[in-house]
Amino acid sequence: MEARRPAYGRTIFIFKLVLGSFLKRIKSLKSKKGSIMKAETPTSRFSIASAIFDVLDPIPFGFFVAALIFDILYVNTYTILWVKAAAWLVSIGLIFAIIPQLINLARTWFTRGRIRAPGLALNFWLQVVAIVAAIFNAFVHSRDAYATMPAGVWLSALTVLAMVAGRVVLAGNRVVYKEYSHGQA
Amino acid sequence: MAKHNRGWRLTLGAAAVLPLLLSACGDKAQMNISQQVGGNPSMPKPQDFLVPPMQVPDGVGWKGDAKPQVIAGLQIEKIASGLKHPRQLLVLPNGDVLVVEANGPGEEAVTTPKQVIAGKVKNQSGKGGKGGNSVTLLRRKPGGSGEWDKYVYIEKLHSPFGIQLVGDTLFIANTGNIMKYHYTPGETKMSDPGVELGDLPSTVNHHWTKALLASPDGKHLYVGSGSNSNITENGLEVEYRRAAVLEVDAATGASRVFASGIRNPTGLGWEPQSGKLWAIANERDEIGADLVPDYLTSVKEKGFYGWPYSYYGQNVDRRVQPQRPDLVAKAIKPDYALGSHVAALGLLFYTGDGLPQYKGGAFVAEHGSWDRTPLSGYQVVYVPFANGMPSGPAQPIVTGFHSADEKQLYGAPVGMAQDADGALLIADDVGNVVWRVTSARK
Repeated sequence: MEARRPAYGRTIFIFKLVLGSFLKRIKSLKSKKGSIMKAETPTSRFSIASAIFDVLDPIPFGFFVAALIFDILYVNTYTILWVKAAAWLVSIGLIFAIIPQLINLARTWFTRGRIRAPGLALNFWLQVVAIVAAIFNAFVHSRDAYATMPAGVWLSALTVLAMVAGRVVLAGNRVVYKEYSHGQA
Repeated sequence: MAKHNRGWRLTLGAAAVLPLLLSACGDKAQMNISQQVGGNPSMPKPQDFLVPPMQVPDGVGWKGDAKPQVIAGLQIEKIASGLKHPRQLLVLPNGDVLVVEANGPGEEAVTTPKQVIAGKVKNQSGKGGKGGNSVTLLRRKPGGSGEWDKYVYIEKLHSPFGIQLVGDTLFIANTGNIMKYHYTPGETKMSDPGVELGDLPSTVNHHWTKALLASPDGKHLYVGSGSNSNITENGLEVEYRRAAVLEVDAATGASRVFASGIRNPTGLGWEPQSGKLWAIANERDEIGADLVPDYLTSVKEKGFYGWPYSYYGQNVDRRVQPQRPDLVAKAIKPDYALGSHVAALGLLFYTGDGLPQYKGGAFVAEHGSWDRTPLSGYQVVYVPFANGMPSGPAQPIVTGFHSADEKQLYGAPVGMAQDADGALLIADDVGNVVWRVTSARK
């Protein structure tokens, strides 16, 4: 690997560094979780909410990823179709995001008598960043033609990055999350 | 408990984001409208908005005997009411008046989330009222006082706007074609079913009005064809023969682009002294309450006036990509600014004797726009001319179309005409009225 580094270039190297520190952070979250798990047994009263969450939550994420792709296409081709489609994706994505984000809010801050999984709070704030960016992005995408850019593509990127980061943080807790969701110890 | 308190604080914090967004709404106009009237309007830097400046008074119409105000020396009377969105007027040789009643065809597809909301906002003002798609004939009562008699003259048109009479041929510009009728003097209902002279650009119809003006020799018709977007947000493909003045052969219907780059040429007229073609135009929205001033300009053959790439000569609009420096370089600066977002919709060079103080100049009807706060326009102004060019500031002649607090809209002026006695007739498409302005001296 070391020998091939110059061929990948500086960007890839920095990317690896960032990814590496990120994974370290997740590992540390995992080890904390292990010790807490023994203390209490999670309850099962959130299973329906969890099902709704699992069904709805991927929809806005997918929409925002598509909006980012379409924005990039518009910036490169100036073909208006792409930016109009992106405007719909951002707006509809926000509507689909309402219910899962409310579930996320409740799960993160208002659940009594169970342990809050590590990383949940960080994920919550990353989702807040994503949603706020997407709300601004909906307004930016209401502008005409190239007035949407470059702000639109940056806000789309920020939305997607924050949502990706939140999911990666949670991936470290996946097992715990599923356990409490379904009431299995 | 502490944890839950924290949760509520967070919820409140998230809720605080919304007012923050609303406060990011568009700025108020900084300029006095008079700074943007005349040959050299001052123009601020363009801005991008999250929500553009917006103010739309509620359309309520005229109550009882309420009417617009006119300046000293003039008086105003209502000669027709209860019309269906009257837009343009034509005075016939026998003194009858034709009123074109129309609104947009409503065919523009909803292709962005913004259109869903913007349509609702704009309709609030009464400007979205359903048009008659018809022409009504007004005939003065034998006694001469009160409202004129109304007759349905032509029906089942398709968003008509421009109307011209050349000899015994009546031309009406629908949004998608020019119709030709044989005119028989004295009729109260057009007996000729009409034939199509030629087609006009009719895709999308973002701007749907087709202004019409016949040349003095009657051989050509000039058509104002508005752009299909605010600023190319519907793609450049749909702008073919748009944002242009077209010249149509009155005999064959063949047409060509006479001048281009005029975003929405809503009114055309012959300047009486020079005999040159002039136009009023509505400029682009959403880069500021003080941008871009609508204008009155002479129209040069093969002239390019900037839209969409630039405004007022070489002020580049970054919203249009890819840019065209070659076209920007040759963009002609319009002759006379009327003010930002006044939405000029009517142009009349006055040549009559009824109002001698206005002979030789131009009346411009300003319909008012949604994209400015405080409001601008909603009045008829007079632009004096000398030696074929505007020679002074525009002077408001007819005002009072909205309430003093700018909350209610009684009317909005559109097309104008000069009647047999030299009175100024004004179509009002929010009040659904035709007004007649005469000299106060009897």
